[in-house]
Amino acid sequence: MNSAHITLAQIIWIWIGAFLTFCIFSFLYKDNPLYRFAEHLFVGVSVGYSISISYHNVLYPDLIVPLFKHGQLLNIIPLLFGLCYFARFIPQVSWLIRLPMGLVLGFGAGASIPATLQASIIKQIQGAVLTPNIFKHWDFFVWALITFIGLICVVTYFYFSKERNKVTKLVAEGGVIFLMVGFGASFGYTVMARISLLIGRFQFLLRDWLHIIK
Amino acid sequence: MQRTIPLALCLGFGIFMIIQFFIPHPVSNAAYDIVLKWIRLITIFALVLGVGSLSMHHTTKIRRKITGWQYSIVTIIGVIVTAVIGLVGGVGRGSGLQVIFQNIFIPVNATMFSILAFYMASAAYRAFRARTKEATILLIAAFIVMLGMVPIGSAISKRLPELAEWILTVPNTAAKRGIIFGLALGSIATSLKIILGIERGWLGGGRQ
Amino acid sequence: MKFFEILGKIDRKIIFIILAVVVIIPLIKPFGLISKASSRAQSVFDAVDAIPAGKPLMISIDFDPASMPELYPMLTAILRHAFAKDVKVVVLGLWLTGMGLGEQALATVSQEYNKEYGKDYVFLGWKSGILPVVLGMGEDIKKAYPADNYGTPLESIPMMQSIKNYRDIPFFISLSAGSAGYETWIAYAQSRYGLKIGAGVTAVSAADAYPYLQTGQLTGLLGGMKGASEYEFLVKQKGYTNQFSPASQAMDAQSLGHLLILILIVLGNIGYFFTRHSSRKEQQ
Repeated sequence: MNSAHITLAQIIWIWIGAFLTFCIFSFLYKDNPLYRFAEHLFVGVSVGYSISISYHNVLYPDLIVPLFKHGQLLNIIPLLFGLCYFARFIPQVSWLIRLPMGLVLGFGAGASIPATLQASIIKQIQGAVLTPNIFKHWDFFVWALITFIGLICVVTYFYFSKERNKVTKLVAEGGVIFLMVGFGASFGYTVMARISLLIGRFQFLLRDWLHIIK
Repeated sequence: MQRTIPLALCLGFGIFMIIQFFIPHPVSNAAYDIVLKWIRLITIFALVLGVGSLSMHHTTKIRRKITGWQYSIVTIIGVIVTAVIGLVGGVGRGSGLQVIFQNIFIPVNATMFSILAFYMASAAYRAFRARTKEATILLIAAFIVMLGMVPIGSAISKRLPELAEWILTVPNTAAKRGIIFGLALGSIATSLKIILGIERGWLGGGRQ
Repeated sequence: MKFFEILGKIDRKIIFIILAVVVIIPLIKPFGLISKASSRAQSVFDAVDAIPAGKPLMISIDFDPASMPELYPMLTAILRHAFAKDVKVVVLGLWLTGMGLGEQALATVSQEYNKEYGKDYVFLGWKSGILPVVLGMGEDIKKAYPADNYGTPLESIPMMQSIKNYRDIPFFISLSAGSAGYETWIAYAQSRYGLKIGAGVTAVSAADAYPYLQTGQLTGLLGGMKGASEYEFLVKQKGYTNQFSPASQAMDAQSLGHLLILILIVLGNIGYFFTRHSSRKEQQ
């Protein structure tokens, strides 16, 4: 941040941000009123933010303008379905909430079936068996073979519908090894993620608040 | 009727979306456009549920003076002030809403997740034990990836990043692909059960 | 023996303080470890670099401030790259709480390159429902987004005249922190409309993205803060920017943080094994 352009208001807001940061950090010592205050403030602000964005980005341009300014009466149908959500607060007609839920769930479930088949099954099988790269070099072929064997082992491990015999038991144990390596890789990356988040906050405190680092 | 109509809507729209994927006919596309628009408008009203439940919960706490009711006042004030500033002032550049977002929302949200680093360090120290061979394999893989993925790994040994890359590209890919298959098959089965009305948990309780 | 038992019983507040010190010191006094670019980051970079001037890059902000340290530097680095190459940018998002971050990034970076709203970049904002947005843009972006984030009808925005749907988008990047994210774009936008997708993800989900990388469903991957620093390195190397790179600055602290976690795990295991050994001895 170029210090020449920082106004008093910006300085005050940065101090507020730093104060709230320390309020949350104070939880590391123990739960306390400052942490509770910051937590509840955050909940309130996030709901207020959601209401504002929802109105300006969706309700006004997609419903209010087309329906009330341009007279597109077909929009009454989704409006009525949407209003059924309010029925949740009226016990006598609370069942009406099932109407928009059924519609949205059916839509989501129906859309997901071909998409999941295509992206998560067909494409992944193609990737497991046939990639152009595997014939480029001998080690690509070896690694692709190991990946394929690992996949079979993992899928065998997740098959619980039948009791395992000696062969499937051995294969499943191989699957466990691959899974442990995968989870170890995920854990390694997770450590990176968590430390990154902490670094981000310290960068804010040291750079934007205290100006110790540039 | 209270369960039949919602189930019928679920079945109808579910089948329509599956079939529509394979039919590029103009009539099908026109219906598809309408459905997409309706879903976008209907889902925004679901926000009402969240806001309503939150408001009811906190106003009840304030009314009955339940422990911590003072914090509920902070929440309610936060909702009202932010919503009014946002609704009146808009969401544009330099708006009051953007100022609140940058100086209240970001610090609190970011810090809440940053304290996980401390708990992760403590948990790694206390709980990560190489008790079994599986745990040891996990630990070794984690060590290699942790070092290989940061610059200090290549400073220690040029092989470390290559080994970490191999772990991620070969055994990790195999494991994650197996998990993707399992999740995908489960998701398809659940979606079919929802569309066909076999899975009815979303209807909730009630006599009918 | 007692020393090794004590090793297994360090108070957690001491661990917290050590972690804080280990992270702060390299930020104040960096020791300059260089982060070279991986092939995954290079793929994303090359895909953006290959977009001809005047053509659009679409970026989806699928994260919130909780993942800001990892993904926000990616966003700013990609914007700098695109603006330096006179690539048009269309920004939108599936996460409501990420919209403020998009606004902030565009406000900051567009000024550095004197880019004009509506001519060089557009911020579409957020729409509810997720699937209707992802699927709807495959047919007509203006139907999914009748207006931009500020309420301006898309039809009146100059750069959107030539962009109808995904077929007019040479490359798409999803910066995602979870669900909905790059997997949603792959499943719905790519499988149905063939959109070319790259991803920037938090480190937590980076390992999960490798199967998609291997099949080619993802053209490149930026994983966590390291991925962000790699992209910053590439953008700087090509001379597209000389701005401050927060992710690159953080790599020293990241490295020491990882070393500390490793040492803690080793110490914890040493303490555990010696405690177990001595209790077995006592039993005998």
